Amino acid sequence: MSKVDLKEIAKQEEELTGGHRLCSGCGASIIVRQVMRATEDPVVVGIATGCLEVSTTIYPYTAWKGSFIHNAFENVAATISGAESAFRSLKRQGKLEGDTKFLAIGGDGGTYDIGFQSLSGALERGHDMVYLCYDNGAYMNTGIQRSSATPRNASTSTSPDGEVIPGKQQFKKELTDIVAAHNIPYVAQASPHNFRDLIKKARKAFEVEGPAFLNVLAQCPRGWRHPEGEGLDILRAATDTCFWPLFEVENGEWKLNYIPREKAPITDWLKPQGRFKHLFKDKNKYLIDEIQEHVDQRWETLLHRTGEK
Amino acid sequence: MSDKILMKGNEAIAEAAIRAGCTHFFGYPITPQNELPAYMAEKLPEQGGVFLQAESEVAAINMVYGASAAGARVMTSSSSPGISLKAEGISYIAGAELPCVIVNMVRAGPGLGGIGPSQSDYFQATKGMAHGDFRLAVLAPDSVQEAVDLTRQAFDIADKYRNPVMILGDGVIGQMMEPVEFKEIDSPELPEKDWIVDGAEGRERNIIHSLRLKTEDLTEHNWKLARKYEQMQEDEVRYEEKLMDDAEVAIVAYGTTARVVKTAIKEARAEGIKVGLIRPISLFPFPKKVIKKAAQQVDCFLTVEMSTGQMVEDVRLAVNGERSVAFYGSPGGAVPSPAEILVKLKEVME
Repeated sequence: MSKVDLKEIAKQEEELTGGHRLCSGCGASIIVRQVMRATEDPVVVGIATGCLEVSTTIYPYTAWKGSFIHNAFENVAATISGAESAFRSLKRQGKLEGDTKFLAIGGDGGTYDIGFQSLSGALERGHDMVYLCYDNGAYMNTGIQRSSATPRNASTSTSPDGEVIPGKQQFKKELTDIVAAHNIPYVAQASPHNFRDLIKKARKAFEVEGPAFLNVLAQCPRGWRHPEGEGLDILRAATDTCFWPLFEVENGEWKLNYIPREKAPITDWLKPQGRFKHLFKDKNKYLIDEIQEHVDQRWETLLHRTGEK
Repeated sequence: MSDKILMKGNEAIAEAAIRAGCTHFFGYPITPQNELPAYMAEKLPEQGGVFLQAESEVAAINMVYGASAAGARVMTSSSSPGISLKAEGISYIAGAELPCVIVNMVRAGPGLGGIGPSQSDYFQATKGMAHGDFRLAVLAPDSVQEAVDLTRQAFDIADKYRNPVMILGDGVIGQMMEPVEFKEIDSPELPEKDWIVDGAEGRERNIIHSLRLKTEDLTEHNWKLARKYEQMQEDEVRYEEKLMDDAEVAIVAYGTTARVVKTAIKEARAEGIKVGLIRPISLFPFPKKVIKKAAQQVDCFLTVEMSTGQMVEDVRLAVNGERSVAFYGSPGGAVPSPAEILVKLKEVME
């Protein structure tokens, strides 16, 4: 990987400009700006239907300086596959010169759920592209419906907490692991509060030949129910509690990028978010224990897998 | 005191479905119908029913297939792009003769289009939807109350004909709040569901399938389906006529548009223009007889739709060249105003 000089990177021109209509405190735009700074080549950006797509491209306006393509909800990986294939063909024919990067972006709905088939297909075919998932753990664009990335017991509009059922019943899908099972050159999990780590990972993702995948946790003040200014602190808690471990898989080799000195209790992650409020009622305390147990197991697995234990 | 309560269209349809005995709902998020699955997510489990959010529209409609095959009263809802994804499953459901109710809160297309109200899915809904020789019964409410009433009827029609039924609304019908009453309605006599797959204990096994490789089997099956649709033409036509007794012009419009047309007609009548409304409520079966009859009375027709002209083709088929049929369309997600319609009406009459 080429050297990441944050001072130099900070001087780079924004590819996603201000004036878009994402909510105040949204994680998606921060993530995109960090990721886009990791390359100086022109980038063709495709986005699946979702908050980021809708809010940055309200016709006739666009917040994107470079080439941008949106198609539908389920197919951003396929759409970028097509663009990348065309680019390769034109380059082979001598009709295009220079390096161009291809970046497909989806939220968790467009990546974990409906877009999973096209993602898997693109990874298997081996397109030279980066897929970035900004995972805020629900369909925020349509009004906070549960997704397969929604954490267990989160209350959403289609997994409401009630007298009997305390929010979503399932644990979230470990998509990063599933993507790693495609044996692609580079897979990483990151978070924008640790921008040095995220930008490094984005640099690696852009530089490898073949598909790369970044799964980045994104706060959503509306869906997570927290004050707009606290998003990055909550993301930090996600990594300190090991709810969202920062790791990478480079050519099959697993590596943990952050091991908290002392693992924080899962309540540090749950407590600041209104979507978990019901868990702190006396009758639901056992659920917090179950979530803690699940996180502990997952962390143990990762420690073994990365050779830390 | 009346039993009316103020409800959003999407939620009212969900409540009406639960009261109609819907026990299973399979959904996927899309604007402008999200209140419907959210309501089901909250209320269905309380009734012992099943709410399930699938990973895509494709999955949701095939869950409907499974639940219907097992004998459940089942529903799904979506909006235009999502309905396109469900199209394959709907074809299989129709081919396998399974009853279900599908709600489409239409948004302006094509492609991602917009989220404004539209009637641009008329062709898709009434002309077979997907591959193969089949039809949906399509009901188009123009108010939240009518949406409630038609939801109940939709389940009964589905069970009677063993065929999917679509409720075709738009963002206005889905998002608007109006007072509604949930009337107790006696169930019509419906055929026994002796075809379901529920374990076959003590009886011959049932097979539900849409694959028919033998030409003669498929031919016979398709004619059987065609007879069902003919029967619907006989028994399931629904429409409203307003001020047609002395009308010299008939406006044909459905759903949200028909409400605006009613205002336009009121204003036109105040100016002495003799204009009436024919409002198809069932879009399939289409009320062609009433339009054909009106052609003997009025000088001309005007069809108003939130599209570039879809239902107008069915109006022209029914009129069969006997009178002129003009069209006024608003295809971009905007509801036409009464004033626009009045201008067009006067132009048509000249």
